[in-house]
Amino acid sequence: MGEAIVITSGKGGVGKTTTSANLGTALALQGKKVCLIDTDIGLRNLDVILGLENRIIYDLVDVVEERCKVHQALVKDKRFEDRLFLLPAAQTTDKSAVNPEQMKKLILELKQDYDYVLIDCPAGIEQGFKNAISGADRAIVVTTPEISAVRDADRIIGLLEAEEELEPPKLIINRIRSGMMESGETLDVNEITTHLSIDLLGIVMDDQNVISASNKGEPVVMDPTNPAAIGYRNIARRILGESVPLMTMEKSKAGFFGKIKNMFSK
Amino acid sequence: MTKSQLITIKGTKDGLVLRLDDHCSFTELLSELKEKVQSSVLEGVSEVQLHLGHRYCDEKDMNKIQSVIHTSPHLRVSKVHSDVISLKECERKLIEKQSETYIGIVRSGQVVKADGDLVVIGDVNQSAQVIAGGSIYVLGRVKGIAHAGAQGNKDAVIAASWLEATHLKIADKIEIMTDELTILSEQPEMECAYLQKNGQIAIDRLQELRYLRPDLATFKGGI
Repeated sequence: MGEAIVITSGKGGVGKTTTSANLGTALALQGKKVCLIDTDIGLRNLDVILGLENRIIYDLVDVVEERCKVHQALVKDKRFEDRLFLLPAAQTTDKSAVNPEQMKKLILELKQDYDYVLIDCPAGIEQGFKNAISGADRAIVVTTPEISAVRDADRIIGLLEAEEELEPPKLIINRIRSGMMESGETLDVNEITTHLSIDLLGIVMDDQNVISASNKGEPVVMDPTNPAAIGYRNIARRILGESVPLMTMEKSKAGFFGKIKNMFSK
Repeated sequence: MTKSQLITIKGTKDGLVLRLDDHCSFTELLSELKEKVQSSVLEGVSEVQLHLGHRYCDEKDMNKIQSVIHTSPHLRVSKVHSDVISLKECERKLIEKQSETYIGIVRSGQVVKADGDLVVIGDVNQSAQVIAGGSIYVLGRVKGIAHAGAQGNKDAVIAASWLEATHLKIADKIEIMTDELTILSEQPEMECAYLQKNGQIAIDRLQELRYLRPDLATFKGGI
């Protein structure tokens, strides 16, 4: 029996979907069987980032309304043989098309066949959020070093802590610009973790390749030299129970220079 | 048989003490009070302490007594002592004396309420609220909204290891902690907020609390 992890943030645009795609891919790279569920009904994106948009036949709403079987709706990522699947959200309806009970049942079913079920949560705290967390065993909160994102993360953590079935949530700080953090223009990692006072699962550097990779439909984590990819790979290893030291800012700088070196060597 | 006095007047160093009989009828008392006040030979203004004994006076009765006394330009009521309070008031005071404890972080959007005093062990984050009928004590940082004396208790205080709230409310007074507020300190460590006599919220060091609100202490006497 696998484990269901919801990836949430409260605020939009902090990188929930990117994180879901990259962590799913990283876990598949580690040999785990992973199913990604996009619960952002009406505004689905996860399929685009994984480059699977044109393979969708059925979706989440078709499954819960029993128009098809789960395995019919799952889209296989061919890059990973039988290890990475996506259950896409419906695009033609909205969040009210699904209720938490249906999600619970669906995720329980998927956990039988997969090591990890990653649930990509929509922004907000309404129906979509309630659906996304209903079947989860663990929660990962994604934030960025912006005060508005940290404030929303605080709100979300409060809601997650009120759920008795969930383990205490863990934190990912995404899109870190080491320069701005060092000069004190943004909150630093320590400030964010002490303010939110939950365990830090990992940090991910801001990198423009994340965007270009998403546009190509190839999660950035496939590139082992990219600093953001290293962040995601470390987080995946920590999810698997390994203890990996936190990436330091100096190291990220070296990563940055390494990237320039890479550019010249190409 | 001489009629016993319903009102006795005594002079003390803090001013006059008016002891009002608590067995006669209220109208009798008022008429004698009127007499006494008008016949008194006084110069300047004296402070008057009223001792009501076991007579229960509601607000209306109190207003009547005060207006009678204030017919004399030489008298001003400074304090009212009474040996009785209503059951309702007693219950409210009992509840406000109770203390509840919350352990954990009060996060954005969460509201923690207590009828009496509230002790929070943990932070109160931005946009989170702690509301208490009595005082609020926080072992941690208050970065959100704190409302003490929510039922109207003006003696309630807000004390914290780190007081950097965005809003402070005591009884029905609200203070927005903007930058232009002069009572804010650079290092808001170990501070308390209280309501001054003039109705303004003030912030002081925690050490001052024993002088500002000595009645909050439940331990009496020395060791």
